[in-house]
Amino acid sequence: MVSSRVIRNLKKEFRQSGLAKLGLALVVVIVLTAVFAPFVAPHDPTEQQLDQSELPPIGFSETTERTSSEMVDGEIQTVTEEVEITPDPDHVFGTDGLGRDMFSRVVYGARTSLVVGVLGTLLAASIGVPVGLLAGYHRGRVDDALMRIADISLAFPSLVLAVALIGLWGRAAVNVPDPFVVAGLAPEMPESFVLPITVVIVVGLVNWVWFARVARGEALSLRGQEYVKASRALGADDNTIILRHVLPNAITPIIVLGTVQVAAIILLESSLSFLGFSGTTLSWGFDIAQGRDYVSSGQWWIASIPGLAIMLSVIGINLLGDWLRDALDPGIEGEGGAA
Amino acid sequence: MSFGRFALKRSLQGIGVVWGVVTVVFALRFVTPGSPINAVAPLDASQETRQAIAAELGLDQPLYVQYGQYVFDLLQGDMGRSYIRGQEVTTLVFERLPATVELALAASVVAIVLAIPLGVISATRRNEPVDYGATLLSLGGISTPNFWLGIMLILIFAVEFNVFNTSGRGVDVGDVALSVINAEPFAGTLLTWLAYITLPAIALGTYFMALITRLTRSGMLDELSKGYVQAARAKGLPRTLIRYKHALRNTLIPVITVLGLQLGTLIGGAVITEAVFSWPGLGTLVIESINQRDWPALQGSLIVIGTSFVLVNILVDVVYAYLDPEVVND
Repeated sequence: MVSSRVIRNLKKEFRQSGLAKLGLALVVVIVLTAVFAPFVAPHDPTEQQLDQSELPPIGFSETTERTSSEMVDGEIQTVTEEVEITPDPDHVFGTDGLGRDMFSRVVYGARTSLVVGVLGTLLAASIGVPVGLLAGYHRGRVDDALMRIADISLAFPSLVLAVALIGLWGRAAVNVPDPFVVAGLAPEMPESFVLPITVVIVVGLVNWVWFARVARGEALSLRGQEYVKASRALGADDNTIILRHVLPNAITPIIVLGTVQVAAIILLESSLSFLGFSGTTLSWGFDIAQGRDYVSSGQWWIASIPGLAIMLSVIGINLLGDWLRDALDPGIEGEGGAA
Repeated sequence: MSFGRFALKRSLQGIGVVWGVVTVVFALRFVTPGSPINAVAPLDASQETRQAIAAELGLDQPLYVQYGQYVFDLLQGDMGRSYIRGQEVTTLVFERLPATVELALAASVVAIVLAIPLGVISATRRNEPVDYGATLLSLGGISTPNFWLGIMLILIFAVEFNVFNTSGRGVDVGDVALSVINAEPFAGTLLTWLAYITLPAIALGTYFMALITRLTRSGMLDELSKGYVQAARAKGLPRTLIRYKHALRNTLIPVITVLGLQLGTLIGGAVITEAVFSWPGLGTLVIESINQRDWPALQGSLIVIGTSFVLVNILVDVVYAYLDPEVVND
């Protein structure tokens, strides 16, 4: 139910808010990067070039100590020398410990984050919204049962529950062929995208309850509205009323929540990958975990850069969420989502 | 409904939820592929050995007997014995719990002490530079993964400047308190404690600082536009009194509720912060138990985490009802 009033509000709010523009710009850049990853990435993100490992990003030179041993007059002598490592213009963000191009890894990491974020949110919404609407509309026993299940579900932190489920169920992944590579447009890139399917299912199962709560609240307040009573009096059955009258009027807060949830699930996915509970190695969280081992030896960029990528994406999506919330429904409370 | 009845009703509901938590945790084992015997038995164990282990662990009993036994033992504070560590799970969990609580509390203190003034200033100086600064800071805070923030803090403060410790717990806060009580020189213990807890507390607390700043700012803006504030102003009451005594008080009530609900995020965040800083808390135990399929230890930790969440939220609701009696009649 996108009325012209809604579009007018969106435009008005967008014109007035610099942050909304920033958010949209960030999200557009990240989505385009993720979709066209094979063209944006200069290298295969999984290709290891051990002779080019630990190169710093452009603009940063690093000095490291290299020790080498050599035989001098029958004795082993250890020589320590300071070596300056200069960046290679071919690797804008430098390389990781195995000589993989960091920029390409960041580009491909966007795919994992966005796909898990969006699919996880859709799954959570497709469980939570119908359950919430039914419970709020019918009230009574269904509603009581739902609220108890929601209470139990909320008692477990998302991350703890997700870690437990993935740790116990395994880390299944599905290889989805990359259409650009199949079409021969980007032959040197990885042939397929690894979709961590367990992660998607688990984040959906863990976060559905937020959608159920919001949908229930909306249904509760809408069921008493005149037009709902009127269509009931005209003999419409409950499911038709829910679909035709309750859902369209409840959709605004659900969309706002959905936006915030994409951001929350991206953070959750990165946490899971960081802890090693994911099915893919092309993920920002995974790269941060790898880079953590290099922090004390001076290769700061391996852990820093993927984290900045997470931060910028989540900032972008959160700003988009703020914009939608302010434009669509000024009455919605600010926060309400799990991270 | 009277306040007492409300508190009672809420507590009874809480017991129901805790029972649900226990049941879900128990059921987890039966929706997981692979037998728990695998965690204990050697790979080449014979069928007889496996059966003997099953009998010893009570795994050969029918499901309802195992469940009944588990709940019965739990009511007496017995959560079984860890498969891997051989320790009583109750001992194990309550050994780890204080470290996690300490970390979570330290993070909350960091968050609240910074966020509330920031939110208030941001709201009272709307659209001034300080407001933009606070808005950006809180936006960054809710968007930054805490484990990454932890690593960046280690990078800056521990690797570059060599202040603060990055691994382990040092002394526990009880030791610091003990030195103070015994009138011993406590500066040394206090500094050690701070050296270990500061970075993890900031890493974990930043998200909440950002969240509370945002909530306080929007709540204050809302309150300041209300009629009673204008009336108070018209009466000539000092601004500070209106802001801090009236508006802030009304703002904090919903903030507390959201914080109660976000306690899960705090504990979840603690799990990963513990992993970054090798903090010996419940989170580390959860992850180790999952990887080792140490069912009793995993179940025990999850039950304690879930129950703490339920208890804190009952407390929040009861305090809320006490502060705002209208809730009772909801």
